[in-house]
Amino acid sequence: MKWKYIFPFIIFFFVYLVQITVVPFIRLAGVIPDLILILLVYYSISRGQLYGTVLGAGYGLLIDLISGNLLGLSMLSKTIAGFVAGYFTGESKKDTNVSTYNFSLIVLLCSIVDTIVFTFFSTFDLQTNILSILFEQALLPSLYTAVVSILFIFYPFRRRMF
Amino acid sequence: MFRFFSKVWSNFREYIVLVIVVLLSLIILSQNQNLQVQKVRAIAFGSFASVSSIISDLFSTTDLKRENRELRETNAKLMLMLSKLRKYGITNDELRNLVQFKDTTAFPLIPASIVSKSLSFVQNSITLNAGSKDSVLAGMPVLNDEGLIGIIQSTAEEFSIAKTLHNVDLKLAVMDERSRINGILKWTGEELIMMNIPSTYDIEAGDRIVTSDISSIVAFPIPVGIVEEFKPDASGVFSYIKIKPFVDLATIDNLFILAVVKSKQVEDLELNFYRQ
Repeated sequence: MKWKYIFPFIIFFFVYLVQITVVPFIRLAGVIPDLILILLVYYSISRGQLYGTVLGAGYGLLIDLISGNLLGLSMLSKTIAGFVAGYFTGESKKDTNVSTYNFSLIVLLCSIVDTIVFTFFSTFDLQTNILSILFEQALLPSLYTAVVSILFIFYPFRRRMF
Repeated sequence: MFRFFSKVWSNFREYIVLVIVVLLSLIILSQNQNLQVQKVRAIAFGSFASVSSIISDLFSTTDLKRENRELRETNAKLMLMLSKLRKYGITNDELRNLVQFKDTTAFPLIPASIVSKSLSFVQNSITLNAGSKDSVLAGMPVLNDEGLIGIIQSTAEEFSIAKTLHNVDLKLAVMDERSRINGILKWTGEELIMMNIPSTYDIEAGDRIVTSDISSIVAFPIPVGIVEEFKPDASGVFSYIKIKPFVDLATIDNLFILAVVKSKQVEDLELNFYRQ
């Protein structure tokens, strides 16, 4: 029972190491995919909205502590992303949403939400234009993350691992 | 009453938890300047950085060949520049001796390399493999042979985190090297701009921007970038100046930390002057 709660955090450290050391090599025009978000969306869909919300908070807090960002910023954005991903859970829907291209679309949506919240709170200005943030800073990284998440659909051991 | 709360919890628990966690995040966001919070962050990133430095060393070997070629080319150019500068240095020494100037050109540089980079467009920061045991302090500038990269934000024993020029929280006093006009440099999330410059001031595209003498963070001029675009903003009173940094933040790996923090004595003196 407890292993179910600890294992995602163990996996987080490995995925985050890959994120900061290997992923910069596959940068395209300064844009990199967010592997942590893919992991979060998977857990939200498989284990429910409440689990996803709390896991998003945990992942976000760890990212803030390790990376030097404003503490609480990633926690906020990942919490909301985990909550949104949880809408696609359900006994009848979760297998479909995790094993088909629906997963990439859900990752795209959650990534856009995550990036908008993060960018909005980090550059808060009365003149901030949400549409500008959406098109210029949220869409490209989210598309790249969604494309990378397609690999996850074809990863054969994900059920056994997770 | 208990049944009511139990019913509310079972129907809306996801929303209740969301609200609680969001409030918690906002509270934590507001506590970022707290000393205890900063200590916890220093311990956390120091611990993780020691592991990520091992992995990043493995991957950085693939870039060594390209980097060596670039360094050989830079060395050749520097050698030519050096012989020219030697000649100027001899003349300079003679003139200094004539007016008895104090020599202030010996700056201590701490070499470091990047262990990890943050993922964010707007809050870009880098983790370096030099920390308090190497005499690194918060507030020290980070630079390379091209120019300023950022400012040290916090330190652990063996690692430190620096905010780069692409971080919205970093605002620096800078000046136009030619016309000596001062302004504030900031990253908007999309571009690097110099703010609050009246439209009538003498700044042209191509001007070099360096850190200002009056900066409370950087003690002396370090190259920052070049003016790319200069045009009046919507009000027509102030100008919008876009700066292209000399350093390509996406490709930097090895750099130096300038082991100088602006004198607290000077700062206190200046602040006391303005308080009178």
